[in-house]
Amino acid sequence: MLREDGLLVKKFDKLLIANRGEIALRILRAAHELGISTVAVFSDADRNAPHVRYADEAYHIGPPAARDSYLVIEKLLDVAKRSGAEAIHPGYGFLAERAGFAQACADAGIVFVGPPARAIEIMGDKLMARATVTAAGVPVVPGTPIGQSDEEMTAAAIQMGFPVLVKAAAGGGGKGMRPVHRVEDLPDAFAAARRESKAAFGDDTVYLEKLITEARHIEIQLLADSHGNTIYLGERECSLQRRHQKLIEEAPSFVVDADLRRRMGEVAVAAARSVNYVNSGTIEFLLDRDKNFYFLEMNTRLQVEHPVTELVTGVDIVQEQLRIARGRRLRLRQEDIQIKGWAIECRINAEDPYNNYMPSTGTITAAHLPAGPGVRVDSGVYVGNEITPYYDSMISKLICYGETRGEAVLRMRRALEEYRIMGVKTNIPFHQHMMDSHRFLSGQFDTNFVEERFSMDDREIDRAMEAALLATLAAHEQSQRAAQIVAPGARDTSNWKWLSRWERLRR
Amino acid sequence: MKYIATVKDREYTIEIDPDRGILIDDVPQEIDFQRLGQSGFLSLLMNHRSVSAVVEEKNDHWDVLIQGELYNVQVQDERVYRLERMRSTGATVDGQAIVTSPMPGIIVAVPVAVGDIVKRGDKVVVLESMKMENELRAPCDGVITHVNVTAGANVEKDQELVGISQEVAEAS
Repeated sequence: MLREDGLLVKKFDKLLIANRGEIALRILRAAHELGISTVAVFSDADRNAPHVRYADEAYHIGPPAARDSYLVIEKLLDVAKRSGAEAIHPGYGFLAERAGFAQACADAGIVFVGPPARAIEIMGDKLMARATVTAAGVPVVPGTPIGQSDEEMTAAAIQMGFPVLVKAAAGGGGKGMRPVHRVEDLPDAFAAARRESKAAFGDDTVYLEKLITEARHIEIQLLADSHGNTIYLGERECSLQRRHQKLIEEAPSFVVDADLRRRMGEVAVAAARSVNYVNSGTIEFLLDRDKNFYFLEMNTRLQVEHPVTELVTGVDIVQEQLRIARGRRLRLRQEDIQIKGWAIECRINAEDPYNNYMPSTGTITAAHLPAGPGVRVDSGVYVGNEITPYYDSMISKLICYGETRGEAVLRMRRALEEYRIMGVKTNIPFHQHMMDSHRFLSGQFDTNFVEERFSMDDREIDRAMEAALLATLAAHEQSQRAAQIVAPGARDTSNWKWLSRWERLRR
Repeated sequence: MKYIATVKDREYTIEIDPDRGILIDDVPQEIDFQRLGQSGFLSLLMNHRSVSAVVEEKNDHWDVLIQGELYNVQVQDERVYRLERMRSTGATVDGQAIVTSPMPGIIVAVPVAVGDIVKRGDKVVVLESMKMENELRAPCDGVITHVNVTAGANVEKDQELVGISQEVAEAS
């Protein structure tokens, strides 16, 4: 059924997943559970990736660089046509929030597992989003409208009070964004933000927002069907970020009680309704010290951190996405949603926490995933996997569940110790250090915590002696073996005898 | 056989002797060491304490992963260790540090020029890789002796980007 807003909703039995890595695998699993057959796509770099092996069919779509493969709309539509896929799930990143892609799918008669193109378009434009949700009664951070002169913005800054944030209208990911604490610093900040925005987005429009200090990033997960039903699945706490990249998420939040959850949830539903939203979406809010919350933006897609919500609500969000896209009504009403227990997610990135979080490239030589009660790993990592600069450095997500927050933290500590990835450096030590951090344990943190008040320098490493011994034993084993291979005649002992001598050493 | 293993700034003398067993800093240890198949997964029982690790040889060191932490271990037998010691006490240290690219990427900025005096930790190159900007910092105090790249350049892993001379800094 093609709706008035251009969203195509119909039953489908074959799904193309326009993504890679852990999220492609996540979607493949949901599709297989629902009996939907699957089509994967892959670049030259991903021929051996798990999503290719896991799908029913797989199609090559070009060179490693995403702009030549995963971002090429024509190639994806062509694969859909050749394979007979009737629907496309974009995952997150890549084309997930491109209105043009959603529209192109609809135009080709393919179901886009996501919202109508128009909703993506409105929410993707910060100023349009702000105006639209404000009209629906959603609180936003005080700020200036677009198109004001420097003088007008300066006057507005003085009126709303410092600190303020100079933001690029076209910005994202922290680019073209500058905090300003004094009026005399405004001219430089305007110039710098314009320069950055021009370079990054080809547009130098800037505006002002009040800077909410000691803010937490709290977001509400929504599900909306194509019949006008919209529900919220509680909040996620995503304040632990570095350079605007989330690192650890949890559900529920330490600071959100049932009343605040209901109020934020209802506002989030109103924001989604203001754009006739359909499918899974997330409203991001800033929550200040006094528990005032402000609309930040809407993510019109499945989020990386959706598993924590799944664990505390029992709802399989990706399965729900597929059902909604097939035109089904939500089976769940708002009163059916209960938050039970606590879930924490650590994003495992290929980066070195001891060296300014420098991305680490290389080939995975060993991978052992944690398991056991309350542990979930959404991972795309495999032995032989080359971690390249072409894609995101997030290689896996470790999610732990407990009856209480404390139990979830203890599980996470245990699971992080079990996790072994060799070949690239990972941020596992960062997560371990965070799980030991007093501030984290007591829930006392905001969005600046990681960057301003958290350091790896005070981490004590206590297994140095064992490491020294293990490396020495491995080196010794190797040199003994090498000596035998190079000059077998020079030794009076056979390999077997040497081995037995080695055995004796171990006694 | 005597080895010297270095982890960070700590040195351990590890002796593997057919008669005396294994000694760490002259203290005998009860060691059971097993490799799981052909993999890098190792199991160590050290005085019955169980340590599970992944160990791999790199060019000039061993990577040892224990409980999430990656340890960089230098293993030298006694003879090599002594030789290196002797060499490093001589006056032949050239005092030259090279900043290399830790991964392939694109140079975003080079905020230093030849002749600039830098302090350890100063930003010398900004490299974009994996969609993130990464700051490469001076490993020591010194004077920039050469700059091999400009903004916009594509670089390979381990490519030499900037040279820093320590001696000039001391002289000036």
